[in-house]
Amino acid sequence: MTYDVNFGWTGTIGNVLLGATKADGGSREVSYRIGGGTTLPFLEKPVGVKSPLIAFEICDNPVYWSPIIRNYCGDLLDDLSGWTKAADKQYGVDLIRLYLTSTKQRNFSEMAAVGRAVETVLSSTGLPLVIEGSNEPRIDSEVFQKCGETGQGERLLLGTAEASRYRSIAAAALAYDHSVIAQSPIDINLAKQLNILLREIGVRHDHIVIDPYTGTLGYGFEYSYSAMERIRYSALKGDVDLAMPMICSAIDALTVKEVREADPVIQDEMAVTWEFYTGLAAAVAGAEILCVRHPKTIPMLRAALEGMQAGAGRAGTAGGQ
Amino acid sequence: MTDVELAKQNGEELLKSKIATIKNPFSYEETAYHLPISFALTGLQVHDPEGASDVFIRMGSNPLVAAECILAEGTASGGKAPEPYTGFISDTVIRKLGYSLVDGSILGLALIVGRPCGPDAAAAICRELQEKYMLTFLAGDVVPILTGAGVKLGLDYRLIPLGPTPQYGIHFVDIIARVAVMFGGVTPGDTSRLLTYAAERAKAIVIVFPGLSDEDVALVDGMRVLGFPILSLDGYTGGEWIHTDAENIVRTGMEKKGIRVNVVAIPIPMGCSPAFEGKSIRKEEMYLEFGGGRSPAFEILRMRDPSEVKDGEITVIGPEVDQMREGSANPLGIVIDVAGKNMRKDYEPVLERRIHNFVNYGEGSWHVAQRDLIWVRISKEVVAKGIKIKHIGKLIASKFRMDFPQLLDAISVTLITDPEKILAAKKEAEAIYEERDARIKGMCDKETTTYYSCTLCQTFAPNHVCVITPERPALCGAISWLDGKIAYEISPSGANQPIERGTLINAETGEFEGVNKFVRKASHGEIDRCTLYSVMEYPMTCCGCFEAIALMLPEVNGIMVVNREFKGITPSGMSFSTLARTIGGGAQTPGFAGISKNYILSDRFLQGEGGIERLVWMPAQLKEELRRRLTQKLAEHGKPEFFEKIADENNATTIEELMTYLESVHHPALSMKPLM
Repeated sequence: MTYDVNFGWTGTIGNVLLGATKADGGSREVSYRIGGGTTLPFLEKPVGVKSPLIAFEICDNPVYWSPIIRNYCGDLLDDLSGWTKAADKQYGVDLIRLYLTSTKQRNFSEMAAVGRAVETVLSSTGLPLVIEGSNEPRIDSEVFQKCGETGQGERLLLGTAEASRYRSIAAAALAYDHSVIAQSPIDINLAKQLNILLREIGVRHDHIVIDPYTGTLGYGFEYSYSAMERIRYSALKGDVDLAMPMICSAIDALTVKEVREADPVIQDEMAVTWEFYTGLAAAVAGAEILCVRHPKTIPMLRAALEGMQAGAGRAGTAGGQ
Repeated sequence: MTDVELAKQNGEELLKSKIATIKNPFSYEETAYHLPISFALTGLQVHDPEGASDVFIRMGSNPLVAAECILAEGTASGGKAPEPYTGFISDTVIRKLGYSLVDGSILGLALIVGRPCGPDAAAAICRELQEKYMLTFLAGDVVPILTGAGVKLGLDYRLIPLGPTPQYGIHFVDIIARVAVMFGGVTPGDTSRLLTYAAERAKAIVIVFPGLSDEDVALVDGMRVLGFPILSLDGYTGGEWIHTDAENIVRTGMEKKGIRVNVVAIPIPMGCSPAFEGKSIRKEEMYLEFGGGRSPAFEILRMRDPSEVKDGEITVIGPEVDQMREGSANPLGIVIDVAGKNMRKDYEPVLERRIHNFVNYGEGSWHVAQRDLIWVRISKEVVAKGIKIKHIGKLIASKFRMDFPQLLDAISVTLITDPEKILAAKKEAEAIYEERDARIKGMCDKETTTYYSCTLCQTFAPNHVCVITPERPALCGAISWLDGKIAYEISPSGANQPIERGTLINAETGEFEGVNKFVRKASHGEIDRCTLYSVMEYPMTCCGCFEAIALMLPEVNGIMVVNREFKGITPSGMSFSTLARTIGGGAQTPGFAGISKNYILSDRFLQGEGGIERLVWMPAQLKEELRRRLTQKLAEHGKPEFFEKIADENNATTIEELMTYLESVHHPALSMKPLM
């Protein structure tokens, strides 16, 4: 039997480049090209593309981080450089995603510290970076300017643009040649609208990664899944305003009731299980970047993805079996 | 007096002869864009006299190119301009500056050149530019005059002194050239894209004080090619410059270039938010009221020539709140004058409808109805906080400004509370209402080939597509064809898109090739065909917002309509809510259609099923609501008696009773072609 895994689709998911190596004017040891899909995930192997990528999330002020990670990683959380190195060398991730949680402090104004945090992570790893800027519109302009400037030439992925606040991040992307994460609240139309707004301000489509907003498994993930599925269908049907790679981070996975209230003996296992299954489901829905916070989730996810990729492309072989 | 045209010609000659005298090589440091203007225009890297004259000739002896080369050579041989002047600005600073422009923390750029007679006018202009989030560059005598008067200069103050002579104004242009390449995706050498970018995206204006030399005039006038308005104060005549006075110069320049300051908060002593829209003000909470049959009141929005509208002006003619007795009914005329490059007379009624929303946004202001039927109340609570009539004007003006920035450049509001003066003004308004009615009434589907879609509800009904025509408003009743058209003009990538109806497939049901094609795409391939005037065949999809539902009753060979307000069971055996659940969510359900109430009055209503004679049942309340207009319509078509043949819940609640009633009145549907 022959299966046509292309379903007559005409669209292709656009490529986005993450990280710049020396040859491209940056200092990363690797860079990635993501996107390029022409059908649903795991049915094909796009050439020259590595995905889904696994990103490990860290932050510059661990006060705002999950106690589960604090328990597991210990003092590493207070050493941004060490944490970064561990993620790169020990945990074996593809990307580092830095949250500038320090900007959550009341009346935060230490822009120099923002620059230092980004520099620390840049100098501690050769992996491409995702940087999550401010959480406070008032300081967006300065924070993103600083992030953009510090990472100039490194082709960062900057987060997170929303319909109500995207100008600063777009400006940083334009001024210093970075890409942006465009987040919409589980809604295909708003996702498209934001991409159009970004395009109108001058951010090219190959500099945008869609964040459909990821609910945790059992806590709204089905909505995220549905939105992602529809975004991907529309893109494959030819809607270029939605034909971008997607990034998923189920940040609530570590705080859902089942994890929070779990017996301390199995709490770690519970957290990892929740992160793993949410991440895997997001990959099936089409995510190109999966973000996790627990180091133990990484090898599980890696193995599962490899298993699924092993079968990719078979069903569509011309002539069939 | 300097004659701009003569000075320019002379100045261009002078620049031409000067560029020929350049001898030494030159270059700017801290830039990757060489001589930015020459580089952006031609893609050539100019560093020596030969290169300079080559680009100058290629660009048709452009004075900007000449000025750039001459100043670059001058800087290379004579050194950078001394403090506080910046001279040539580095790429790093430009990147930050461009960042602020994209980010919106700077709205636009201004260049000021020349010699103001005294510091006051110049300082006032600079202050206004600062207040309006413009980044201002200064070149020439204006700098020492400002610093002499104690005005602080520097990037932090958004006032940047480029250099001691107006010729340094060329840096203003090299900054924009670099912004275009860095942020605008302009490839160096792509002259036409550069010019388009400068004209359309670069929000730049030039303000000229007296005292420019001929060369300076040639330089400044050369910037017109980039689409920058050149605004001059005393001392210049002729040419294409805009001559104005110090008081209006910033506003005029910003208007010309379409730079708009966004209002963020409305400075009145009460809260304003859509959150307050639903609240009402009961009699005992009310301090004052206007209209509602108790006193004369009306509202009107008129388009005016820009010269007649002073933006932000609020005038109250007659007594204010503190001169009115608590609990009294007072006259109120709301007259809104608007002007805007993109404003059109057709938009007046649509914008006028927004007054209703805006007044209701006020925490303590309430508004119902429209035109000369309005009824407005102000609560005791906000009067105690200091609300005046003029604040209502301020609220309306600010909201229009916020919601229609592309459409309106200026808004002024006049509020008439004088009992004598309102009568004359009201009469004038009434004449305009009549004119408008005549204009809109005539519009029918045949007159245009462009309809509008509405996919606003796709957020919850993912495949739903409304097709809005002049004779068929959106099923929610809130968006007419004109609204759709305006919404598209205001937001070209929004939920209302034009649909070219294309080739006719079926005149009766209103099926068009173009409409089908659009609906197929907009419904993500779910709906292949969609008729505009039929309930039975490929009706439009239904989101869930429909004002009423039209559905077939095969037993009586007719179609009934039930509106949302009707709570009972209809002859179909189902209530409105049950029906709504069945057909909503973006599905196409033959035999059922979501409609607006006004559509019942349209000549296209039920056209596919043979016309309004198919209508067999409607709730009594809806019948009452439509009575006057529907009987008039029926009379026009020579069937005045038909209205009474439409049954309601008073004569039929079941299908059997309905049949009996229809037979007793000889309802025409009974003898029409079978529905199924």
